[in-house]
Amino acid sequence: MIEEPYRWVEAVATRRDYIEMQLATGSPVVALGYSEGILLLTVGQQKLFEIYDRIALGAIGHPGDIERLRMAAIELASSEGFTRSVADVSLRRLAYYSLSPVMKNAFEQIYGAPFLARLLFVEIGTSLADDLFLEVEYDGAINLHPSNGGNTPFAVLAASKKSAEQMAEFLRKRFQSGKDLSATLELALDTWTVGQSKTDEAMPAEDDIRRQWRERVGSGTISAAVLERNSNRAVRYRAVEASELAPLIAK
Amino acid sequence: MDGKEALDFGASSDFPSLLRRQGLLGPAAQIGPMNKRAEITPTESTTILAFKFSDGVLVAGDRRATSGNTVVYDRADKVLEIDRRSIMAIAGVPATAWEMARVLEHSFQFFRRTQLQEMSVDGKVRALSKLLRDNFGFALQGVGIVVPIFATYDVKVSPSARLYFYDAMGAQFEATDFAATGSGSPAVRGILYYENTWGKKPLQKIDQDEAVVVALRALDTASEADTATGGIDRHAKIFPVMKIVSADGILTLPEEKIAELFHKRVA
Repeated sequence: MIEEPYRWVEAVATRRDYIEMQLATGSPVVALGYSEGILLLTVGQQKLFEIYDRIALGAIGHPGDIERLRMAAIELASSEGFTRSVADVSLRRLAYYSLSPVMKNAFEQIYGAPFLARLLFVEIGTSLADDLFLEVEYDGAINLHPSNGGNTPFAVLAASKKSAEQMAEFLRKRFQSGKDLSATLELALDTWTVGQSKTDEAMPAEDDIRRQWRERVGSGTISAAVLERNSNRAVRYRAVEASELAPLIAK
Repeated sequence: MDGKEALDFGASSDFPSLLRRQGLLGPAAQIGPMNKRAEITPTESTTILAFKFSDGVLVAGDRRATSGNTVVYDRADKVLEIDRRSIMAIAGVPATAWEMARVLEHSFQFFRRTQLQEMSVDGKVRALSKLLRDNFGFALQGVGIVVPIFATYDVKVSPSARLYFYDAMGAQFEATDFAATGSGSPAVRGILYYENTWGKKPLQKIDQDEAVVVALRALDTASEADTATGGIDRHAKIFPVMKIVSADGILTLPEEKIAELFHKRVA
């Protein structure tokens, strides 16, 4: 049936709807620049990962597919870092050269399985302007979030386009650069809460957001990780410890 | 996807095998009949010592690299950080040893990143053993012998400070108090045994300054009789490299501190 071009386009469109439906219940991921680096936050099962010394990943999707992509990214970065140097491991290259073509291919081969995953990579540079926020869609599309010289160093990953837009709009209003970790954790959880609103609801009012924290977070656990810019260690990735999250949970 | 791939659930995914799959690391050296000795004289380097003291483990190494009778380099660093709490110190051929250290460093990180947990101390000790075993063919051919010491700090168990030494075939031995390897090691072992048994205090009870002094005296003694050991170069002011692994991680002792203790207590 798909010998005809129109059928093929139709099949791809159906597949897009199917994937969007599969991703619709995903818990959002928020990435925000702060005074010492970049913070990643989400709620629920583990989906923040260390990829290499300066690269971290947050994801929405099927755990099996996330795992395959995560492993591929780690293997690519590790062998590059081993043969050349840490400085030669580049997120841009990893995404554009390696991941994107494979994901696009899997998406368009309509007899095979696509990747049910949406990925948000962050890379910490030597200065704010070098930081990179890069989203890879299930169809291989890449969305590079410019940090505007450090004015908008943030990106979000959400279950739907509408949620992502709401979160981004919220951040454009509320984000201030150079905040410390605890203030940034709060803003990240606020943003996550905005992203959890049903898509047909209007964006919750500022006062409502805090009230919704508890019910939206529910029994899920908050997980967060940071990439630290001026760490004296080569590995910049660090999971945010429970003690640092405690004030957030108490609120 | 062929059958083999379908059955691969990522279980084989350790770092050296990933490198071999990509052709980035040579296969384990074959041990076959050897008709002639190697025609090159490999660069070698040596005397390494390590002992447990009150804070953790001190690992020290001289700086000389030699090739036969020739001194190749006087600022070689043979005490290498592998991860936040592990040090590998090498005696033998630096080309092989540095490559091993690099593979090891990446292996531990690769394990943490892929498996989402730190590799256990036993796993780390074994990983080095495996690399030595794979290298044994080269060691026999006379071009790649490496005899390392591995020191780490395992916060989960007590006693936390752990010290291992190896032979060239990859056997690992856990040391209770101290270890030494390299051509200058017989003298060093004598000194450490003496200090530990009849010194003012056992090695495990001495403080950091005292530990540095013991290490300096031991390396100076080793270099007295062994030409392959640099010891302390009083003219060029080259001091041994010393690192300490403890609960806080790894501390590289600043050269000024070593120099100060040297002038006060050793020179």
